[in-house]
Amino acid sequence: MHDMIEAVYLVAAWDVLIAIMASAVYGLVVGSLPGLSATMATALLVPVTFYLSPIAAIATIITASAMAIFSGDIPGCLLRIPGTPASAAYTDEAYAMTRKGQAELALGAGLWFSAIGGIVGTISLVVMAPMLAEMALSFSTYEYFWLAFLGLMCATLVARSSPIKAIASMLLGLLFACIGMENPAGTPRFVFGITDLLGGIEPIPALVGVFAVSEVMRAMVTPEPPKLPDRKFGSILKGQWGLTKKYQWPMWRGNIVGIIIGVLPGAGADMAAWVSYAMSKKWSKEPEKFGTGHVEGLVEAGASNNASLASGWVPALLFGIPGDTITAIAIGVLYMKGLNPGPTLFTERASSMYALYIIFVLANIIMIPLGILMIRMASKILRAPRSSVMPVIILLCAVGAFATGANLFSVLAVGFFGCVGYVMERNGYPVAALVLGIVMGSMVEQNFITSLIKSDGNPLPFVERPVSTVLASLTLGALLWPAGVWLFNRVQRGRAAA
Amino acid sequence: MQLSDRISGLFLAGLGLAAAWGGSRLPAVPGQDVGPAAFPMLIGGGLIICGVMIAFGIGHSFEVPEEEGGERHSAVYGLRALVPPGLLLFYALAVDRLGFMLTAAVIVATAAFALGAKPKLAVPLAIGAPIFVHAVFAKLLRVPLADGILPAFW
Repeated sequence: MHDMIEAVYLVAAWDVLIAIMASAVYGLVVGSLPGLSATMATALLVPVTFYLSPIAAIATIITASAMAIFSGDIPGCLLRIPGTPASAAYTDEAYAMTRKGQAELALGAGLWFSAIGGIVGTISLVVMAPMLAEMALSFSTYEYFWLAFLGLMCATLVARSSPIKAIASMLLGLLFACIGMENPAGTPRFVFGITDLLGGIEPIPALVGVFAVSEVMRAMVTPEPPKLPDRKFGSILKGQWGLTKKYQWPMWRGNIVGIIIGVLPGAGADMAAWVSYAMSKKWSKEPEKFGTGHVEGLVEAGASNNASLASGWVPALLFGIPGDTITAIAIGVLYMKGLNPGPTLFTERASSMYALYIIFVLANIIMIPLGILMIRMASKILRAPRSSVMPVIILLCAVGAFATGANLFSVLAVGFFGCVGYVMERNGYPVAALVLGIVMGSMVEQNFITSLIKSDGNPLPFVERPVSTVLASLTLGALLWPAGVWLFNRVQRGRAAA
Repeated sequence: MQLSDRISGLFLAGLGLAAAWGGSRLPAVPGQDVGPAAFPMLIGGGLIICGVMIAFGIGHSFEVPEEEGGERHSAVYGLRALVPPGLLLFYALAVDRLGFMLTAAVIVATAAFALGAKPKLAVPLAIGAPIFVHAVFAKLLRVPLADGILPAFW
């Protein structure tokens, strides 16, 4: 109880409240601009968090990402251009509703069910994390190695790309993480005489480059999206309670699927929305209405993508393994602020954890009034030409990278990773897997090498303990799954041909 | 920059080979079998296998077909994508001499013009954005941005 009261005091501090409000507005605006993802909004915030208190820093990440995921629905609904990848799954459906004159209902459903999803996701975080933390206290380096490896494999499994390319992206990320002296032996590796590389590749410039610079690069070669016509909206929340009662089961299914996908390392809000929309269509009593402007898919997928945001923090807080790209950024901020992820975080810094839960709930509650305001102002904000937004973003990338260590080498690193991200995306290599490789590289290597030294080079102890056996089986299953699917498809095709 | 799977796969295999070779040349830790070479060699091996598989088109059937995105442009038009990293390079090279204000103004104006902005938008943006960013980062967050030949007026 004492921890809870302390947490309330921590969140009620003026700097935290200002950080929540400012990042809410920032997240809503950035998320609503087509092409600017929630991850990019979060990555650009990191340099600012350097100068905030730990709770205010975490509050900005949580609030901005939740708001950006919701507001990505706005251009999707009004222009048929998803603001963030998490809205892409149901953009056609939402736009079809707008064409039927139901824009308010579509936007209201996006807002209402996002808030519900966010709160349910937070409850799952509150319930699951401490339970798993107790279990995690008995983990040794073997379990941590398999857990990290499983996380990397999950990221490759859920990528909407060739699994081989996803594994290659992940390995490339791990290779980047090898650069520098941050290895168990303390030996400089792949530094090519450049002293700036001795400290290794910092995840933040890599993230800003891959997600923000590559987006500006893409904007340079793609046509400007169409302008939103000026329009007035009716009541946004009208009819949402009726929808909640009518689509109770799809809403809960969306929440649960979102939570499960969020907990899976590497799979985030966009994957949750795609899976939930597909499930909604499959299990609906009126599947024929999907694609014609039917709200059911929006209810389920809207709840799912925001639920996954909160549950993505479970592996991040417990093991330092990111649940998605946003928590990959958050882990960096947690380390920077002395809140090192791990099971002891829940015992030694319990008040900070409670504060984090309160911020999640607060962010999802203020999402409703601020979201309504944002929808009403959308026609003004969405008219901002890309040529006025992107130049400021590239300037923020430069200054933000410099601010991470007052070092111009970081600015060059941001440019380099922008090129890497751009080329990879153009050629079907998932960048999320690369980012996870960079973020988790040192953790995987540390646990792998320590385990090998402990076992004297013998691989058997890696699979002798019960939990590590289960984790090893899951990891190998994830590794062999694509091969199984490929073989199955081949056999099916062979049968069909015969 | 669209590359064929054969080229990108072979590049990755080459990179893996270089990583494994570079890793194998790292000094061992005295008295220990496992040293700093183990992990890069493992990754290098993985990259070689993946690169060869990609080059042979294995796993291609899992890829979601790319949406046909409107008009097609020439390769020279595609070079416009290099403007943002070029501007970051310019920032790193020029900011200490020119100072933040001037460098930022050049970056914003160039990016805006490259994206098709008219002078009535690009010029005010190139003046206003550096002042705003300087106010936030240097004044509020105390990031030491270079003064150069045109210091901020506060």
